[in-house]
Amino acid sequence: MIVVNYLAAGALFCIGLYVVLTRRNLIKLVMGLSVMEASTYVLLISMAYRRGSTAPVFVSPPAGRSVTSLTHGGVADPVLQNFCLTAIVIGVAATAVFLSVVVRIAQHYRSIDADDVRGMRG
Amino acid sequence: MTDELADTEPRHRPGLGWALAAAVGALFAIGLVNLPREAAPLSAVAHQALTVAQPHWHTTEPVNEVVYGTRGFDTFGETFLLLAAVVSVVVLARRREPRYGYIGEEVEGSRERRGVAQGSRSDSGERAARAAEGGEQETYDAARPDTPDHEPLGVVRHETAHAMTVVTRNAAKTAAPILAVAGIYLCAWGYTPGGGFPAGAVLLGVVLLLYAGFGYPAISRAVRPGVVEVIELAGAVLIIAAEVLGLVFKGAVSENWLPLAPLQTIRAGGVAQVFSASELIEVGTGLIIAVFTILGMRHDWAGDDA
Repeated sequence: MIVVNYLAAGALFCIGLYVVLTRRNLIKLVMGLSVMEASTYVLLISMAYRRGSTAPVFVSPPAGRSVTSLTHGGVADPVLQNFCLTAIVIGVAATAVFLSVVVRIAQHYRSIDADDVRGMRG
Repeated sequence: MTDELADTEPRHRPGLGWALAAAVGALFAIGLVNLPREAAPLSAVAHQALTVAQPHWHTTEPVNEVVYGTRGFDTFGETFLLLAAVVSVVVLARRREPRYGYIGEEVEGSRERRGVAQGSRSDSGERAARAAEGGEQETYDAARPDTPDHEPLGVVRHETAHAMTVVTRNAAKTAAPILAVAGIYLCAWGYTPGGGFPAGAVLLGVVLLLYAGFGYPAISRAVRPGVVEVIELAGAVLIIAAEVLGLVFKGAVSENWLPLAPLQTIRAGGVAQVFSASELIEVGTGLIIAVFTILGMRHDWAGDDA
């Protein structure tokens, strides 16, 4: 029933989206975006799962398996695990940029409420 | 939760937020239930990675083969996306004047200025002003709120790590070298899925552990822009060299051009190991720069209105 994981990932995304849509605290907006990012990790790792499979590692295979049999399948999808790694690194980088912008906004406006950040010059 | 700490922030148009989130959720649900399930066969690229990992790369970790071999060029691009993000953070957080380290120079500078002023002049008016300033400072410190959540924005504080107990400091001192060796060992022998990426995150964890336990002065000689930025760019140059030499020697970017050592030895992955070690440098220093730049920003509040 891996579809439950898929739906959990979708629900996690929607929780993050709700936070982004309804909150004005910039830190909470960044947290909402991070929750949305985290939902992609759940989805990718869940999609990598295969019934009865083991980790894609060719050292010390479980009882009844050999390294040769693992190379022909019976392991979780290594490509989707790689996508998850990529998503984590990009997520960290994006969050770092968002937080820098939030700190600069806080310094400039002395507020982290998005409603206060409306002043335009020029 | 007390009333003081209760979340009083208003939600804006919660009904509309729920409706939009529910609509997106419904669309996702339709798509997600039709995704391949746990009984689906592996994709062709996954089979390719499993097949070539041992004979072609001498690695026992197919995820590493995907990261640094089959999808090596994607990883190359992703690495420079990370570098672009780090550069963005540094540019956004730029100071008005060059600094030696990331944290604490404003506090030290103000102490020094007070010391210089004290040495230059010492009449009765000056002493009275200093006494008043000192009294004001004590009142200010005594008036600190009960919880850090109630600290006003922009208040400069001393490093709280100076107040860490001996238990915390010893725990940090014991755990840091073990974690550092474990992270680098797993990366060096190619036993981590992703190699340098998780090992770089471990490196950041070690530095943050030392920072939390001992404060910035304990790590300031190593963790400063003049050191970590140079190391990060050296990691980027290594990655470019490893990839471009594949094109020069073998006619394809990400192709292995190094002799392969036996399985489960440090040089088993050939150029994948070089790429992985370079990623360790790149990701570790990149994350350190991003985190400490953001931590340092809170100490640099003055002057925006000038």
